Amino acid sequence: MLSISLFAGMAEAAGCRRLEIPWAGGSVADLRAALGSAAPAIVPLLAKSAVAVGGRYARDADAVADGSDVAIIPPVSGG
Amino acid sequence: MQRIDMVRLVHETIDTAAALAAVASDAAGANVLFVGTTRGITDGFVTRSLEYEAHEPMARGELERLRDEAIARFGLADCVIVHRLGMVPVGEASVAIAASAPHRREAFAAAEWLMEQVKRVVPVWKREEAADGARTWVHPERAPEAAP
Repeated sequence: MLSISLFAGMAEAAGCRRLEIPWAGGSVADLRAALGSAAPAIVPLLAKSAVAVGGRYARDADAVADGSDVAIIPPVSGG
Repeated sequence: MQRIDMVRLVHETIDTAAALAAVASDAAGANVLFVGTTRGITDGFVTRSLEYEAHEPMARGELERLRDEAIARFGLADCVIVHRLGMVPVGEASVAIAASAPHRREAFAAAEWLMEQVKRVVPVWKREEAADGARTWVHPERAPEAAP
């Protein structure tokens, strides 16, 4: 199981701040696909977003272990 | 004055004087303070207020990493970065960066570089409230880059 944190416009699109999806292991790219199936409303923004695992930006080829702390990082606008 | 950690996310008014004072050093001959404020008018559009949200642990981690990199890259004597979260009324500071260095060129360059990095990689988002009350999250048309 993965618990995925959502922020800003991503939380707004999903209608929640956290999504839980079953997870048997896989890459960040696999996670994007699983998330898109679980919450189709977030797909357009997800395509432009980064994925953070354990508080660090991850690449699509990086592995995501079951139980990891995952967050979707839509394009940032701080400052 | 607020007690200043060198990297802070705050939910209240930023004490910019404290940020500047915190980078004072015998090694510094140049002390630069950048203050980003909420703009009320952008290209003719009126903003009533901005609301900021962050992935706080990750934002703190990214700010620490950027501060360390700026100190090494520009040879700074010291550096403070403060970002405000929650509602920020027009005209108030949303971000402050203080950089001190032996000479001004490095201090100015570091403050400019840090602001660019903050806007590029730190997981903070703003929601604009327009004059008509409509509230919109701002997500620029480019994804944050993956970690180096």
